[in-house]
Amino acid sequence: MSDVAPQPEAAVAAERLTKRYGSLTAIEDLTFSVAPGEVVGFLGPNGAGKSTTMRILSGTMAGTSGRASIWGVSVALNPAEAKRHMAYMPENNPLPEDLRVEEYLRLRARLKDVDAGQVDARVNKVMEDCDLVRRASGRLIGQLSKGFRQRVGIADALLAQPKVVILDEPTIGLDPHQILGIRDLIRSLRGQMAVLISSHILHEVEQVCDKVVIINRGRLVAQGRTDDLRRELLPHAGFTVVTKASQTELTALCTAVEPAATVEDGVATDLGWLRYRVVLPAQSPARETLAATLLGAGLPLREIAEERYGLEDIFLAATRRTPAEGRRS
Amino acid sequence: MRHFRTLLAHELRTALLSGNTWASAALFLALMGGIHFFALLECSRAPQPWTPVEATFRLFWLPLLCVLPLLTMRSFAEERRSGTLSALLTTPASTAAIVWAKFLAAWLTWAAFWCAFLLFPWIVNARLGTAGDQRLSDPATLFGGLCFVLVSGLLHVALGILCSCLTRSAALAALLTFIALLGLTAIGGAMDSLPIESWSWLGWLREPAAHLRTFGHLQDFAGGILDSRPLVLYITGMMLSLGLAVLAVEGQE
Repeated sequence: MSDVAPQPEAAVAAERLTKRYGSLTAIEDLTFSVAPGEVVGFLGPNGAGKSTTMRILSGTMAGTSGRASIWGVSVALNPAEAKRHMAYMPENNPLPEDLRVEEYLRLRARLKDVDAGQVDARVNKVMEDCDLVRRASGRLIGQLSKGFRQRVGIADALLAQPKVVILDEPTIGLDPHQILGIRDLIRSLRGQMAVLISSHILHEVEQVCDKVVIINRGRLVAQGRTDDLRRELLPHAGFTVVTKASQTELTALCTAVEPAATVEDGVATDLGWLRYRVVLPAQSPARETLAATLLGAGLPLREIAEERYGLEDIFLAATRRTPAEGRRS
Repeated sequence: MRHFRTLLAHELRTALLSGNTWASAALFLALMGGIHFFALLECSRAPQPWTPVEATFRLFWLPLLCVLPLLTMRSFAEERRSGTLSALLTTPASTAAIVWAKFLAAWLTWAAFWCAFLLFPWIVNARLGTAGDQRLSDPATLFGGLCFVLVSGLLHVALGILCSCLTRSAALAALLTFIALLGLTAIGGAMDSLPIESWSWLGWLREPAAHLRTFGHLQDFAGGILDSRPLVLYITGMMLSLGLAVLAVEGQE
């Protein structure tokens, strides 16, 4: 008989999670999951319910209804066991000011059931991983910069090698160098543990995450891989065209290759050149041939470029849609 | 149990390094030193029916009201204000373990204060006492009085912990503890001084009043009488307060 518990399908599972404060509904019917080893971005505007959801998942707050589980263990029914599989770094990362970094991590390791003989080794390992050894290990936490405090929070989260790490705004208030460091650190966790990370820096999330979950006003509006969401939420392709042709000429050429093409009003740039935006359906074969068509027609053309839709565009599109549309998708 | 031991060691270490603890200790010793000094002065002027140590212990409520709230006010209120309590609750340590560790650390600190007070009668006896005369530091009175403040301290410290759980403000927690302890001591004092036995219409109150005579408990302990009723009162009061503290922490988080 093996002692190793079977790996569940979902490392984190929220099923119809709802939290109400009196008449105010913070989150409603939230259902999503994070697979083992997956890094998932949890996005939403301010007040969307991200922190509430993360607190329920971490067992520090009870939900009104629904089910939250960590590594197959119900957070409400067996919180101690669920917490053994999980580490949670809350927003603003509260830390005791009067402890030294190493002392704090030792204390946390003992509280997180790290084997007594392994405490020193684990503390040293996470301090190395988070680049705390040389500049921060012996310092009081109260004297650390914001960046180092965030590193201490992440080091704490990694101490007991949990199956699931939940990070609420881990890069908030950090400078670009520190953000890069945290990004690399989170990236290195992929495959080792499931990471649910909330952030307002969408570029960071796009760089790091395998999947995103987007909520708005407490309800799920989109979830999936970025490419899938791009296809689903942005069903068109935009081109920037800089030419001297009139809108009528350009529209005639574009609709010849794709009848559904539209050309938005041109903006004068310099020396008679006009900047247009041409929109085609995302699946249109004309995306491949538009540049050749315009060049072949002898149009005075200075620039043609396809717009790249990033996570920011997906986020904006998703937060504009209704929750019902989100559920249907 | 492992979490409790870890948390207790952490709380004791924090208490030892905290300026608040040392300031409270200084206030406690100054207060007790002053009380003991005036008790000695009274006894030196004219014969008294009580010894200086007995007189000092009878004013136990003064450090209880002035110092104990300072000792317990930060235990939960400060951690809730800074958010470190939420971080602590994300570990597998149970809320009960956290509450008990904070309680026991505060109680041990309170006990250490009272043990430090015992140095005063000892010093006085060493400097002024005569061989065979135990009036300046009667060991039985000292031991009995110490037992009383430690046993009643179980309830008093637990009340302080409960008050600290109810608010994010350490100052408000201290005020709540002061009010709770004042109420408890005043009721205990009233039960001692009111002639309830002679009021027939208050006959039903005699039995509960016998339980609540705080100063009577002190006399019993100092006289070497071990009555189980005060023990039950203080221990059940402590359990109830700590149980409510656990519920308060879980409810708020």
